[in-house]
Order: sequence, then structure tokens, then C-alpha cells
Amino acid sequence: MLCERCGKKEATFYYKENVNGTVKTYHLCGDCAAEMQKSGEIQTGFGEDPIAKMMNILSGDDFFGGDDLFGKLIGSPQKTAERGKSCPLCGGTFHDFVKTGKAGCPRCYETFEAELLPSIQRIHGRTAHNGQAPARFREENEKKQKIAGLETELKEAIRTENYEKAAEIRDTLRNLRNA
Amino acid sequence: MTNWYEIPGNENDVVVSSRVRLARNLADYPFEPRLTPEQAKEICEKLKTIYSDGWTYTDFSTLSPAEKRSYGEKHLVSPAFAGKKTPCALFARNSVYIMALEEDHLRIQSIYPGLALDEAWHDAAEADRLLDENANVAYTEKLGYLTHCPTNLGTGMRASVMLFLPAYTAARGIQSLAAQLSKIGLTIRGMYGEGSSAEGCLYQISNQITLGITEEETIRKLETVVKQIVEKERQLRERQDKEALADRASRTLGILLYARRMDSAELLGLYTTLRMGASMKLLEGVTVTMADRMLVESMPGTLTVAEGLEDDSAARDKTRADVIRRILKEQK
Repeated sequence: MLCERCGKKEATFYYKENVNGTVKTYHLCGDCAAEMQKSGEIQTGFGEDPIAKMMNILSGDDFFGGDDLFGKLIGSPQKTAERGKSCPLCGGTFHDFVKTGKAGCPRCYETFEAELLPSIQRIHGRTAHNGQAPARFREENEKKQKIAGLETELKEAIRTENYEKAAEIRDTLRNLRNA
Repeated sequence: MTNWYEIPGNENDVVVSSRVRLARNLADYPFEPRLTPEQAKEICEKLKTIYSDGWTYTDFSTLSPAEKRSYGEKHLVSPAFAGKKTPCALFARNSVYIMALEEDHLRIQSIYPGLALDEAWHDAAEADRLLDENANVAYTEKLGYLTHCPTNLGTGMRASVMLFLPAYTAARGIQSLAAQLSKIGLTIRGMYGEGSSAEGCLYQISNQITLGITEEETIRKLETVVKQIVEKERQLRERQDKEALADRASRTLGILLYARRMDSAELLGLYTTLRMGASMKLLEGVTVTMADRMLVESMPGTLTVAEGLEDDSAARDKTRADVIRRILKEQK
């Protein structure tokens, strides 16, 4: 449902107050809720320990796991879900992914990669990791980089007709690939 | 083990703490909602063998609600983890706390007082290496570390810094700061915009994006921005009327030393003035660390555990006043 104050954004905030028997309810979007809290029209967290509340907000899970933001980004499951495909490890479907905004297991990312990439791009602005890797990938990476470097050297050696050097590089490459 | 908030950190007139969290998962298990109780147990047992040497293990689900809450109040675990009712475990060593079976199989966290992002990153990465050497971590070359929520893909890292910004807040600079930060992929969280009268002037700034940016880059960016904010906050403080501030801070200290009952809302207001006075060296014998200890140790869960109170005890306000007095007199 849409926010009843601005009528534009999705309502994500439900507020109900009872003052001497007069009950008021609101369905609001995050922005309108924040504005109304600021202006004092609504008060939330009343009765909660204020320091604990503040600490919760602060320490809070800055991992944005709390809502189904991702699900919303992917869009309506009816439109996008590829029927019949399910994850071999957890049995989850793309529909499940969209509904919860979260993966069922690590393998889901491989299973639904094509469907997910546009939304991942929208969240992060990119779709390729750049950073630390587990050791097994680091070794593999180093090997790949070494092979690529040697291949360039080999081409250069052939171009300059340095066949002795080319043969040397070819042997090194062979050993590296078989390792 | 000494808690982070009992140690004076770098730039602690403005920076309260630095924290790095890594989300990690084991490749061969579903994420938490789809885990069977047997699988959950298997993961915990596996982690127990990995994090054994020098690590303390706590079966978190057996703790009382106040004990769990206290871990959350000290920022040693996330609020979500502190409220968890299903099986979960906590591994701890020095600055590192590993939450097992939070949203991800592991959330490795390192927390330091003051500005110390490199130290926090170093310690978290070391705990991560132990996992990498002994388990099949969920990772692909393209998407990096695979996480339950796609918003954490890539490095799976959140680096964050908690800041004390009373002068910034008084100058109404936080909203525009928030707008600037969001443009460069950082987020600020705090009580602002919450409509609360008792503002603690505490804020947390963290990275928003985890995919396509390295851990080092993330930390450098956050640190650079934090250093600029620290400078600005100090400049704004310098412009304040010192004598008026010293007067307010001293009166605040008087209330804290002589009150017999203290509720949380009142303390939050007093904390801000006391910490400001202490950080500007306007109060003899009162340090910033004392102010922070006072805040953390008088929160409901921590107070209940340390003072042996019943949950939701009515005696809490009285005990809180006692604890505050004890802390403030200790180092005088």
C-alpha cells in the first residue's frame, strides 16, 4: 500500500496511538514517518529505555538485512521468476529469493545469477568483486596472471624471431598449466 | 578481558570506537532460515575446532535475556544477535567477537576504542584467515564472499566508526553531513530525526557498498572522511564559550555525583555535557573514558547482570546512581 501522507512511496511504517480512547492510525513511508516524528505529530519508541534505544540504532545492524529491499528491487516475482528452476543445494526457487530478498544458500547465487545481476548492479553500482579472496582462489589467480604474462612474452619472442627464448617460455607454460 | 570502552583510544575526544565486521558463510550449508537443527549443530562444532586455541566459547542461547542484552549494549554483538532465541554461539579473543549463526553463518567483528580502523581490520582479517584455512568458505571470483543478503556481497565487510558530535549537532550540521556522506557511499546513523529531546550526540558512520571496492579502499575512505569530521567538530567546539561550558559541565558532574536515583533519559542528557566537558579538559579528574564507561555500565542489561538485579527491577534507577558515583569517584 502507498503512504497515506504523500501518496507516492510504499508505506513501510505502521503507527497506532491511543490517547484517552481516541485511536489514530497511520500507514507511512520512511520519509514521512521521519518528518512526522520530527514535527512531533507522532512519537515512537515511547516507554523504551532511551539509552538502550539509541545504542540499538547505533550498533545496529549496519548490515542492511532488516527489510526486503532486495526483493523490491528485483520486482514482482510473477513477472520475473523462471518457473521450474530450483537451487540444487537448498531447493529454493527464484520466487523464494524475490519474496524474502535473501538467498536460501550460497549456491543460489550461481543458480539464479542471470536473474540477479541487474539488481546487484543497482544496489552496489558494480557486479564484480575486488578485494580479498580465500587462499585457494588467490593461488589460482596468481597462476592465471602468470600464464597471461608468459603468453604475452611468448608472442613477443616469436615476433622478434627469438626462437630459443620462445621455446623456453613454451616449456615453462606447459609445466605451469599441468601443475 | 578488558572491555574496549575501558581503554582510552586515539582521538577519543570525538571518536568513541572503531569496528570492522565481516560476513562469512560455509559453502556447503544453506543460510540460517533453511538450516536444520542438526546442520546448525554441525556448524557450531566445526567452528569450535577452528576457534579453539585461545578463544572463549559461549553457548549464547543458554544466557539469560539480560546477559544477552548486555553483550549488545557493549556493542560486542549486534542487536539482532542479542535478541536471538534459536541456537547460536559466540567465540571471543581479544578484540574479536565471532557471532555464529547470526544472519550469516559467521559475523566476525573486531572493535577498538577511538580511531583504530586498521587495527580492527587486522584482527578481523586474522580470524577470517583461520576460517579460510580450515573450512570451505562460500566465495566466487565474480561476486566475492557470498552472503545471505545480496547487499553484503563482495567483501562482506562493514567498517564503522562511532562519533561524538555535540558541536556539529548544535550547529545543525548533521542533516547536510548525511546528504554528503550518502553521495560517497557512506551512511550515518544516529538519533537525529528521531524527534528525541535527549540526544546523545552519538553517530555511527559506515560504508554502504561492499561489491567492487577493496577492504583497504573502504577503510581509507572512511578514515579520511572521519578525520575531516573530527577536525570540523574540534573547530566548532573551539568557538564555544568555554566558561559557560565549564559551568554547565561542573554542574552536571555535581548532579551525577550526588543523585540518588537516575533514569536513563536523564543520564543521556547529562552524559553529553559531561563527555563534552571531559573531552575539552574542563573538568579536573574526569576523563572521556569515565564518561563512556558510565554510559555503557548503566544500561539496563549490563546493570542487571553486574549488580545481580532481577530482570526489570524497580531498583534499577537507584543502582544506576550508585554505579555512576562509583565510576566517577574511582579515578578522582
